[in-house]
Amino acid sequence: MIDIILQAFASIVLDPVTLGLMFVGTLAGILAGAIPGFTIAMGVILTLPFTFGMTAVQGLATMLGVFVGGFSGGLMSCMLTGIPGTPSSVATTFDGFPLVRSGRPGLALGLGLWSSFFGGMISAVILVALAPQLAFLGLEFGPWDYFSLIIFALTITVSLSGGNITKGLIAGLLGLFAATVGEDEINGVARFTFGFDDFKQGFAFLPVLIGLFAFSQLLTDVEDDKRAKSPLMSQSGTVVKVEHRQAILIILKRWVNLFRSSFIGIFTGILPAAGGSISNILAYDQAKKASPNRSNFGKGEYDGVIAPEAANNATAGGALIMMMALGIPGDIVTAVMLGALMIHNIIPGPTFIQDEPLLAYGVFIAFFVAHFFMVGLQAFSLRIFLLVTKIPMYVLASVILAYCAIGVFALHNIVFDIWVMFFFGVIGYFMKKLGFPLAPMILGVVLGKLAELNLARATGISDDMLLFISRPWSLFFLLMAVISVIFPFYQEAKKETLFAKLYVPISMIVLSLPLFLMGSPVRMIVAAILVLTGAYFLYKRTSSLKTT
Amino acid sequence: MSINKDTIVAIFLLLFCGIMINSSFDIEDPGYQGMKASFWPTIVLCLLSVMSLVMLIKSMVSTTDNNLNSENTNSQNIFLKFKNASICFLMFILFLAFLDYLGMLIGGVLFVFGLLTLLGGFEIKKIINHSIISIITIGIMWSIFTFGLKVILPEGEILRIW
Repeated sequence: MIDIILQAFASIVLDPVTLGLMFVGTLAGILAGAIPGFTIAMGVILTLPFTFGMTAVQGLATMLGVFVGGFSGGLMSCMLTGIPGTPSSVATTFDGFPLVRSGRPGLALGLGLWSSFFGGMISAVILVALAPQLAFLGLEFGPWDYFSLIIFALTITVSLSGGNITKGLIAGLLGLFAATVGEDEINGVARFTFGFDDFKQGFAFLPVLIGLFAFSQLLTDVEDDKRAKSPLMSQSGTVVKVEHRQAILIILKRWVNLFRSSFIGIFTGILPAAGGSISNILAYDQAKKASPNRSNFGKGEYDGVIAPEAANNATAGGALIMMMALGIPGDIVTAVMLGALMIHNIIPGPTFIQDEPLLAYGVFIAFFVAHFFMVGLQAFSLRIFLLVTKIPMYVLASVILAYCAIGVFALHNIVFDIWVMFFFGVIGYFMKKLGFPLAPMILGVVLGKLAELNLARATGISDDMLLFISRPWSLFFLLMAVISVIFPFYQEAKKETLFAKLYVPISMIVLSLPLFLMGSPVRMIVAAILVLTGAYFLYKRTSSLKTT
Repeated sequence: MSINKDTIVAIFLLLFCGIMINSSFDIEDPGYQGMKASFWPTIVLCLLSVMSLVMLIKSMVSTTDNNLNSENTNSQNIFLKFKNASICFLMFILFLAFLDYLGMLIGGVLFVFGLLTLLGGFEIKKIINHSIISIITIGIMWSIFTFGLKVILPEGEILRIW
């Protein structure tokens, strides 16, 4: 084990090429995260074509640099201009910007930067500790369980992506359908090709992703004529000196908030599709509830900066845990990384860490190293950020559209892929306009083939469809899927209604059933705790109903 | 009962599902044991049809949502709203249509220049800026992919003849 870790360490830290790529990746990530209208996912997607010629370790290390850098980039724009660079830094604006306006920009940036660093470090430790264990758990999964896990990943993406659940489900199903076009992997039979030879190979995952996500986003960015022609930011801020020492001392004194927020971030990252945009708000909310200085929140409270920044960087580690352990992307960024691994003929899954230990530990180490780059590059990137903000959006969009075309062509050297990107870009643009969330569709495209393959394996082993509900893990994931579909209704329901009162306790009791069926002592204890807690909540809430 | 954007989208989706389900009957069955090639897409399409139907019913019952007669659907507003996106679509289609002749280098430069000018304006100073930006950015990208990443980008008939 130690020799593998050392080899992986050498492949990242002692290789100047990999370090150089991570340097560029982190810088690009910070800038992508800092520019409003750009997202971290877009930064990672646009980095992908450059990684085709690299080794798998170098490619992933570069993308991790963008990923980690992106989270800290968001804090620069939100603190200096009051405009969040990415959705994952929205909550940082609430206290970061007031802190800057009160005359402490150096401290505000320092708090954000070092909270991101510590949050990332905590999640990196959890990643190293938890991913192999989760992968070990994943070895218990049969095709039935995997199929149900994918269904759960899709339904939770739908319920967490916000908006209309019907539209979310339609988007997810459209993604699953898009993945069926072309020759099927089991029988090699052409499907929905309508006589076009190009369709036989199906829609490659990356052109679809770049089209749906990057292309459609760029079209949205230039939609407003006036906004497209004006510089990216009207208030571009000034260069400030970051107060590192004082920021570190303040954060360490508030270690409870740091750890709580980091764990919220990790947990949110593990949930498919729940990324930094959710974790930063959740962590801020919890920090506010737990703080004795609740009234200071919104006026430049230190805890209000520490919580969202620690949480959003920790989310990255959480998302990586799912991808590394089970091959299920935690968010769009890890879906792209999954695609990058597939280009190198590596399929992540429960055996990934065992089969590709060098690469797996390389990812762990790159995640650590990227955080050091992030801290080191912040001051330098601040100057570039101030320059970039003077460019109008239409210039950036035009250049990046051309770059998308070149990058997509580089994947298979065929023009058809550029047409696919364009087609899905148009679809993505109109779907967004019509209120359809794109994340479920992207996950549908990514997981569609895997779902079909596991369904084929399951039905190939046995005709008994009841196995989907009689196998504990499969039942667990299907129940989770049902609970996640109902979740948006629970969010909308008024607190006093019977449904809102019973949703959580009944979900807990229902989920304990498959855990009891698993038989192992630890899981039975967890199941018993779930039942008892659920029963307690049920009793309390029904008795409060009676009194009212 | 009202007709709004969602109603039209739901009807379009139902039509799409109908066509695709019909097309799924043409999927060949090689007679191998196990799951048929048409099984999974049929399940997905059936679920999609059900959800589209739900969306249709919800949109018709809804009274508040996206009414077609609202101010936003005025043809002039629609044109202004989608003007820049339509320019991007058109330029991209032209870029792809002429890619075989112009190649990635010339085609890319013309695409970026055209898009920048159509979106940014036709003043002389801007046109000069746009040409510099398009030549430099596409030149750099083309060089990175061609020489750095060894990707053989479409050369185009013009350069081939030249």
